[in-house]
Amino acid sequence: MSPRSDAKPEAAGDAFGKRISRPSRIRSFPVFRIAALWEAFLVAAASLRQNKLRTVLTLVGIIVGVTAVIAVVTIIKGLDQTVASTFSSQGSTVFTISKRPQVITSREDFIKFNKRKDVVREDAEAIFRSCTACWRTGIAANSFEIAKHGDQKFEGVRLRAVTPAAMFDIDGVTIDIGRIWTESESAAAREVCVVGPDVVTNLFPDVPLDRAIGQDIWTGGHKFTIIGILQPLGKIFGASRDNIIYIPYANFEKNFGAHNSLVVFIQTETAPQLEQAEDQARAVLRNRRGRTFRDEDDGFALETQDVFLNLYTSATANIYVVTIGVSAISLVVGGIVVMNIMLVSVTERTKEIGIRKAVGARRKDILTQFLIEAVTVTAIGGALGVLTGFAVAWLIALLIGFPLLFSAWSAVLGVSTSSIVGVISGLWPAWRAAKLDPIEALRSE
Amino acid sequence: MTEATVETSPTSSGVIAKPELPSNGKADVLILMRNLWKTYDMGAEKVHALHGVSFEVTRGDYLAITGPSGSGKSTLMNLIGCLDTPSQGEYWLNGKNVSEMDDDELARIRNQEVGFVFQTFNLLARATALHNVELPLIYGGIPGAKRHEMAKQALAEVDLADRMMHRPNELSGGQRQRVAIARALVNHPSILLADEPTGALDTSTSYDIMNLFEKLHEAGNTIILVTHEHDIAARAHRIISIRDGLIEKDERIR
Ligand SMILES: Nc1ncnc2c1ncn2[C@@H]1O[C@H](COP(=O)(O)OP(=O)(O)OP(=O)(O)O)[C@@H](O)[C@H]1O
Ligand SMILES: [Mg+2]
Repeated sequence: MSPRSDAKPEAAGDAFGKRISRPSRIRSFPVFRIAALWEAFLVAAASLRQNKLRTVLTLVGIIVGVTAVIAVVTIIKGLDQTVASTFSSQGSTVFTISKRPQVITSREDFIKFNKRKDVVREDAEAIFRSCTACWRTGIAANSFEIAKHGDQKFEGVRLRAVTPAAMFDIDGVTIDIGRIWTESESAAAREVCVVGPDVVTNLFPDVPLDRAIGQDIWTGGHKFTIIGILQPLGKIFGASRDNIIYIPYANFEKNFGAHNSLVVFIQTETAPQLEQAEDQARAVLRNRRGRTFRDEDDGFALETQDVFLNLYTSATANIYVVTIGVSAISLVVGGIVVMNIMLVSVTERTKEIGIRKAVGARRKDILTQFLIEAVTVTAIGGALGVLTGFAVAWLIALLIGFPLLFSAWSAVLGVSTSSIVGVISGLWPAWRAAKLDPIEALRSE
Repeated sequence: MTEATVETSPTSSGVIAKPELPSNGKADVLILMRNLWKTYDMGAEKVHALHGVSFEVTRGDYLAITGPSGSGKSTLMNLIGCLDTPSQGEYWLNGKNVSEMDDDELARIRNQEVGFVFQTFNLLARATALHNVELPLIYGGIPGAKRHEMAKQALAEVDLADRMMHRPNELSGGQRQRVAIARALVNHPSILLADEPTGALDTSTSYDIMNLFEKLHEAGNTIILVTHEHDIAARAHRIISIRDGLIEKDERIR
């Protein structure tokens, strides 16, 4: 400002007198942009610090929403993972044939399925004889029993009678300690059993696992000698899969009678053969049941393990939509809380806005400040919400009993969603603040 | 916060044409007002807070505006300070036709050309004195370190170097007004405006503040202040009296 500085008396010693030139201002555009944003952030941060109660209220609003979303997403992912890994242990090369499907949805169906002929050992043998695509076949029968050893009692044990020994592979279980029964033991219907680790820990507490080998246990009124212990499979939805007793099928027939319809397990060598094997097995059994191509009902249920996955997917899909919807609504509510608090804050701070405008803040500056305030709070709220969401999911997982996957993706999602909520809900209040008239704003009290 | 390029001479943005110079030939006209009207539309009736005010202020002048309550003093000051826009008329400030500027351009003028001191101080209640003084520099786009330095210096000029980290409610009325004056001056404006700066202060504090204004005037600042106290008006070099939105008297006393 050269003309002005010429007019100043040089003698005046203080800074206001020396109006030599304007202080140099930031010129470079991108650098300026970042500096300006940082500046706006500092202003916003100062104002958030100076209004702690308001900041905390806003935080709570957003934390609740994000916590809900993160917890739900984490739990869903954990469940999906558990279910997928559980059912894939049998692989996509296995299918089963049984009298009733594993999932029955109505009473009428139940009655209809009950009228069907039992699936018997001869059915399995017939399939195995003529199914060229089939690789391994086995049969299994199940019942729930109580297991006992001395004074120790273990209820709700799954007694599973299988043959041949390949059924262990088809079931996807492996021996940990001891051995599987031999062909001759199986053929002779010997009283031997292979048990899941839960059976041992319940019947032989405080004893190393391997000491259970050779011990006798009672189940279903018969005595069996433990010859092998399986590797643990863990829990699914809180239910253990290790409370199982495997016995030779021949023994089951001998001691328990063949009154139960059994399940035929068929495995192909490769997944692509599955369909052909299914067709062949279906043809054999339809034939044995005198079905012609005109009969719609097979008279038996041929299923892959996918039915569980499908059932799980269809049963949970609606629940997911509802829970995600509910948590999305809570996020929207959080957004409305943010907007409400910001609107109040704009009204409360009209004077402040007037002061800022009076000393040169433009609309853009005010808008930026309020938006950054909103986004800062909601982003912090989002981050905290992610943490509490994980914590809630972890607690629930602990109670139900399934492993969790904490994904960085959902953390990023939580923080960015809440920031977007911040922008959206901050926009209108910020705009209202920005277009306030300086004089009117200053006049307010 | 501001545009990337910054005006460094009075001939850049905002200048449409140099104002007509007043006939008496004085070259350094800072403020030129021609037939300024301010009308408030109150629905049924229109309130003319100013009707046809014209005057000039030269650089380095010390002007007091007086008049009875409701005469339009504050309205006029707000127009001079670009806080408000005239309903009609022409206003040139430091070579720029302010009456035709939009919101953001006015914000810029307020930031760079005007230092405004209010009767009720208008400080940010929760911010420190230092932060209050820094405020215009923030919106002027001045980087942090430089800003601190300038704000500290401005506070030192008003004898508040030892109160920098105090908030307004930890300061006396006179100290608050000095913080406000430091804020008004920190950006080296062309003009210092004060609307009843001593209106909320007791007599002795008022004199301190008036002494400060005198010192600032001697240092070369152009000052316009509104007051309804004669002894305060009498310390200025020129007094404009307004009544009912019109200039009644315009006298130079020094
Ligand atoms: N926003 C407004 N709406 C309507 N009328 C207004 C408004 N602001 C001011 N006025 C009117 O304009 C006139 C001048 O007001 P102004 O505030 O300029 O007076 P003043 O000289 O500063 O008075 P005081 O000495 O009491 O501060 C008054 O009649 C007032 O009622
Ligand atoms: Mg007034």
